[in-house]
Amino acid sequence: MRSRPQHWSQLIVAALGLLAPMAVANAMADPAQAYEIVEPSHIKLGESATIRVTSLDGYLENFQLPTVPGLKFEMMGRFQGLEFVGGRAIPAWYIQIRVTPQSVGVFSIPGLTPKSPTVGLEVLTRDAPDPYAWHSQKPTPTPAPMSKAPLPKGIQLKAGDGAFAQLVIPTRPVYVGESVPVDVEVGVRPEIVTSLNGAPALTGGDFRLNDLSRQPLRREQVIEGNPFLVMTWHTALAAVKPGDFSLSVETPLSVIVDTRSAEDRALGARMGWPFSQIMSRKAVTHKDITIASPTSKLKVLSLPTQGRPKDFSGAVGDFQVSSDTSTTRVVVGDPLTLQLRISGVGNFDRVDSTMFDHLDHWKAYPPKSSFTPSDTAGTKGEKVFEQPLIAALPGEQSIPALEFTYFNPGTQRYERVHTQPITVTVSRSLADSSLGAALAVHDAHGAAASRFARGLRPDHPQPQTSVSELRPLYFQPSFLTVPATLVLILAGSWLAVSPQPARTISKAAKRVLEQLEVAARCGDAESFFEVARTELLRTFADRWQVPPDHITSKELKARLGKAGEDIERLVALADEAKYSDDKAAHSDFRRWIGVVREHLAGGTE
Amino acid sequence: MHRAMIAMLIAGLALCGGQTLSQPSQPLKARYSADGLYNLANSYARAGKPGLAVLYYERAALLAPDDPDIRANLENVRAAAHVPTEPPKRFTRIAGAASPAWAAWIGVVGIALVGAGLLARRNTPRFRRALTCGILLGIALLALTVSNAMLLWPRMHEAVVLIDQTPARVSPVPMGDTGFVLPEAATVTVTAEHEDFLLIRTRDGLSGWVARANLGAVVP
Repeated sequence: MRSRPQHWSQLIVAALGLLAPMAVANAMADPAQAYEIVEPSHIKLGESATIRVTSLDGYLENFQLPTVPGLKFEMMGRFQGLEFVGGRAIPAWYIQIRVTPQSVGVFSIPGLTPKSPTVGLEVLTRDAPDPYAWHSQKPTPTPAPMSKAPLPKGIQLKAGDGAFAQLVIPTRPVYVGESVPVDVEVGVRPEIVTSLNGAPALTGGDFRLNDLSRQPLRREQVIEGNPFLVMTWHTALAAVKPGDFSLSVETPLSVIVDTRSAEDRALGARMGWPFSQIMSRKAVTHKDITIASPTSKLKVLSLPTQGRPKDFSGAVGDFQVSSDTSTTRVVVGDPLTLQLRISGVGNFDRVDSTMFDHLDHWKAYPPKSSFTPSDTAGTKGEKVFEQPLIAALPGEQSIPALEFTYFNPGTQRYERVHTQPITVTVSRSLADSSLGAALAVHDAHGAAASRFARGLRPDHPQPQTSVSELRPLYFQPSFLTVPATLVLILAGSWLAVSPQPARTISKAAKRVLEQLEVAARCGDAESFFEVARTELLRTFADRWQVPPDHITSKELKARLGKAGEDIERLVALADEAKYSDDKAAHSDFRRWIGVVREHLAGGTE
Repeated sequence: MHRAMIAMLIAGLALCGGQTLSQPSQPLKARYSADGLYNLANSYARAGKPGLAVLYYERAALLAPDDPDIRANLENVRAAAHVPTEPPKRFTRIAGAASPAWAAWIGVVGIALVGAGLLARRNTPRFRRALTCGILLGIALLALTVSNAMLLWPRMHEAVVLIDQTPARVSPVPMGDTGFVLPEAATVTVTAEHEDFLLIRTRDGLSGWVARANLGAVVP
């Protein structure tokens, strides 16, 4: 028989259960809120989902995209519309965001507004069955049963038995700089751990861990009766300094924490869905935590100083080298590529290109390098250096053997490997090559030769003259001195040689001077002075634009100055010669001819 | 005194110019002749080397621009190499018809005519018409020389591609990415240089860095 209190408690729970949906509906009807949905909530890697943020509070100002490791968010746009809540149309503002996952997992996206709750997104592998396959007609393939495995030795479950982390390192001592493979393993229970918030990281700064951004290997296992998703990173670490170290890895996670008491959880379980979900909505929270792996001991030895070669660059491992060239026949100035291949196991990041430092007779450009790993940890593979070279001298040139030094942890000593020397035939530049070289290739290019030789006009006879430069004369500095000198001479002449009035005498004046010469020879003073006076007065009249009879002695003095006195004297002599028989001396005639010549040429004005 | 100084200055300059001209040429320098270059270009064409053939035809054309054989064979080889050619414009034909050597001396004669004519006009009133004609003739000769020089100036920076499928790179290093490739015998303009690479521009306006060894400068 049931007791009375138990009966009442069942009645109260039933009543609350009936009222709860109404309370939820009432909460949904509250217009002062914002919420977000993600569609679809299960996608495959390579696909995108859309988050729609709905605000009934007004325009969402200062909205910022969230940051969730492994997810990429892109704003698609904003728009405005109406929401019908409880039969009422309420203005609503929407923001659409595209979410593109970068890794597989269960992600928890925090509320994008202060009032909106967290949403979840599950990302599956590309080859995973379609999460919405029930829409299709094809039957869903039955998933393979999970393998059962024990918890690794020495590992403890953390985060409420929801996760564990493990670091697997070599047990032997390693050397400084040596790249050793390690495994980082993280197991999570999907119903407890909602997302990985970052890649595992080593504690302490004395080691360098290779990049863990690549996708880990994933497998599902049942560990201690619970399904676990186990992720394994195969990577490599290198020690920076010698010593004894304790290593562990830390991994940030987001987990679900149920804050209900054990009684409430039992009650919820007894009532079943949807009451259990309604009751747990407020009680379940998300929490970010970091789990660490148990510590592992590692001994790091320093590299021996005894016998260390001078050209040792820090490479530790076991390497082989080889080299070849893109061609063995080049023209002076033409580049060729020297390829140096270094393969094996070790820290390839310390394998550098200092081997190329001793290439005499070759002009070297900065080399290019590429590394192709052959294992997931990146400790095995091949590094290829491509060194462009240009031959400086023609002839048979040798690319010397390239030496590479490294420390071999297996033999515990420094070792040296080298390539074989390569002989390259370097011919002269084509533009400078002789005709013989062209004819030498005639046979090799027979078909092409006939094509270019067809329709050619014949050769010219042997030339008789030649020049020392192809550059045209007027672009040669030595020639440019000729016109420059000529211009300077002409300019100097222009400055130095001023016009001579006596030389610029006209024909008419010459005739007058000839008459004067004749009169002087005959001793005919009358004719001499008369011709001189008449011609001078006519010249002055023309020159001064006045009638000849208006030229007075005053005018002559004013215009000619002291020379005017000579003219005045000449006029007087002309009058005197008419009325006297005086014979002028021969020297007087010469003097007056000079005076007349000067004035006819206009020299003294 | 002033005139004496000017006269001494002119005499000194003339002496310097004469000394420069009378300097012996370097004994080891190569000698070029239009016929020799033409014959060499023919040989390269027969040997199936269109790049070198075009290069030497271009060089021969510098010395003898009006030689019809050079022009015909140059066009022939370019056509066989599938390199497009542009027919010269009328002005180019007229100004480029004179040999550069002749054009240079014609320019000197032009300067002399202009200068002497101006001097004579200044010092004598006679023969003014004849002197004016002389000055105009001198100016015409100078213009011919300047036109010839302006036409040839771009060719001072031209080069011929000697290797088929020569890569024109985006940067002057051997590992630079290839922007485009040049056919053998194509003529390009060199606009800059950096160590072993020349920055070239094609007639289509494309620019890129080409290894110096793959090009032959028209004027070495």
